[in-house]
Amino acid sequence: MDRRTFIRRSIEAAVVAGASSSLFGSAVQAANILKVGILIPMSGPAGLFGPSCENCARLAIEEINAEGGIVGRMVEPHFGDVGGPPDVATRVALKLWKGDGVEAFIGMHDSAVRGALTNQFKGQVPYVYTPVYEGGECSVGTYVLGETPTQQLEPVVPWLAANRSANRWYLIGNDYNWPRDTNSAAKTYIASSGGEVVGEEYLPFTADNFDSNLAKIRDSNANAVLVTLVGAASVGFCRTFASFGLADSAIRVGTLIEENTLAGIGAENSANLYSSAGYFASINTPAANAFSEAYFSRFGSDAAALNALGQSTYDGMMLLRALAERAGSLSAAEMDTVADGVTFDGPRGFATMQDRHVTKSIYLAEAVGTEFNVIETFADVGAGSNCG
Amino acid sequence: MELFATYGLNFLYATATYGLVVFGLAVIFGLLGVMNMAHGEFVMLGAYAALTVQEAGLSNWFVVPAALLLCGAVGGAIEWSVIRHLYRRPFDTLLATWGLAILIREIVEVVFGRDYQNVNQYQTGTVDLAGIEYPAYRISVLLSVLVLSAAVAAWYAYSNTGARIRAMVTNRELANAVGIDTSRLARLTFIAGVAAAGTAGAMLAPLVRVEPYMGLDYLLTSFFILVVGGIGTLEGMLIGSAVIAGTDVAVSAMFDKTAGYMTVLVVSIFFLWLRPDGLYRSK
Repeated sequence: MDRRTFIRRSIEAAVVAGASSSLFGSAVQAANILKVGILIPMSGPAGLFGPSCENCARLAIEEINAEGGIVGRMVEPHFGDVGGPPDVATRVALKLWKGDGVEAFIGMHDSAVRGALTNQFKGQVPYVYTPVYEGGECSVGTYVLGETPTQQLEPVVPWLAANRSANRWYLIGNDYNWPRDTNSAAKTYIASSGGEVVGEEYLPFTADNFDSNLAKIRDSNANAVLVTLVGAASVGFCRTFASFGLADSAIRVGTLIEENTLAGIGAENSANLYSSAGYFASINTPAANAFSEAYFSRFGSDAAALNALGQSTYDGMMLLRALAERAGSLSAAEMDTVADGVTFDGPRGFATMQDRHVTKSIYLAEAVGTEFNVIETFADVGAGSNCG
Repeated sequence: MELFATYGLNFLYATATYGLVVFGLAVIFGLLGVMNMAHGEFVMLGAYAALTVQEAGLSNWFVVPAALLLCGAVGGAIEWSVIRHLYRRPFDTLLATWGLAILIREIVEVVFGRDYQNVNQYQTGTVDLAGIEYPAYRISVLLSVLVLSAAVAAWYAYSNTGARIRAMVTNRELANAVGIDTSRLARLTFIAGVAAAGTAGAMLAPLVRVEPYMGLDYLLTSFFILVVGGIGTLEGMLIGSAVIAGTDVAVSAMFDKTAGYMTVLVVSIFFLWLRPDGLYRSK
């Protein structure tokens, strides 16, 4: 959709929204199709993840429909591009919600967009937020699938201290809330595992030269680096890190180094690189293997590579189904009363909803070339305290 | 002490790579007056040329020739189809090259996808320089840039073509009148600028992230350097590179990366405001 069409449709949607939402609503009920809004980045910096997000959502919906739909209704995906700024994303969501009659949302986008959306939805429509994030989301009607810093680090930091002698930590990230909140959680676990923090640094998104940081890291004699740089910065940093010969003296641990980032880092630069996440394409369980086979047989062997962010829309749909089935409807209010204790199983393993977050398995993987090799699985890891 | 020596090497290396990257823009913007917003995309094409050579299983020695060939051809086509009609309209060159930049990014995205690509290192390992482990390939880049700039400076000062280019830059009509084919000379100069940008991309590809949007990083820094150093001379370009690299390295070392980047922006703004001709300008 080009910009002009987009703006025109958004305005139409806003006009139509107030006047005829009940009309649209009844039309939807009549057809008994359940429209689900899938909000994913198809443009902008995160646009790289658009294709895998879209494929995974489609696959989940096809499987759900083959198994009888959600509360007996066939599901129809309505995709919205939320790769832009929050004000654009809210217009996209409003059009789907009030204009197209979408009754539930799945969202894979940044936290700024999430904040704007929870503000707009006000708990009136079920909304499943799927990616890794900084924690602390507590809005009614918002169900978080993604990993919080507590989940990614609480079991992993002590494990690395015990098994990889990580006790002098350098924390480096981009300058916004996710890296800062991740590092503040990391400090607790580093201290309790007997380690110390020897440096902490935040870089602007525009940074593409990491020489001064690497000089400081070498000077600090760190033996572990927690990388919360994202995307392009993570690739650039890890490449330079290895070229300085630091990969042998310090391990690198990332909480958002997924398959695309690792491909950019390259096999030559990935020695002693670890990643902690709720999903890797290489998880070797029957459920994960079945999912991966279904994905590539459905979309072809050259389909967008599987990764934690893209795959999250699949599990997001499964979580929505579990919530709706238990509530017996798509009503946000009814869902909220039964949400605690909802369970579902998927490629990521068995998961239980608790305080609108998910208690689930966390995987620690070591990079071998440009593949992740899962070396440890931590079962039933809670998301920590996120309300208040 | 060791930390300071590392900062010193980082400063030299940053100056050299900035010089390498900005050279193509200095030729096109400094000599032809074309505000080339597609400069970063030419650097990006060079990096993708390196990627293609490696994916084809060829030796790394083909990387730079491939970049020269690809970017030379692209530069020639762009000059012939767009740029030559715009030499006297600098603002229009800005718009036209910005459009071309978007087009090149989209084409690369269609061919290679949006994904990050990995270009293997041409030379691995570190060397021990008086107790400091420094990546060997960086030292090679440093030395190559030194040799290349000396060669280009000598050629520009002493060759006949260099003299003709200087004549064209100073007074195009007069140069034409004395029988210099300025259209052909301008095309060759443009091609040389694009090929230089491509060479920079190919040489730096193993050290940086490679993806369709990588060019934007290089564009901004390159313009800052030309603003600070002044356009039209090799000396100005190197001084600009050293000032920007030095500011960034020193401030980032003392405070942090955010402060380093901010200082570079402030320095550039002050130069634009108070000294729009830059530090060094040929008389």
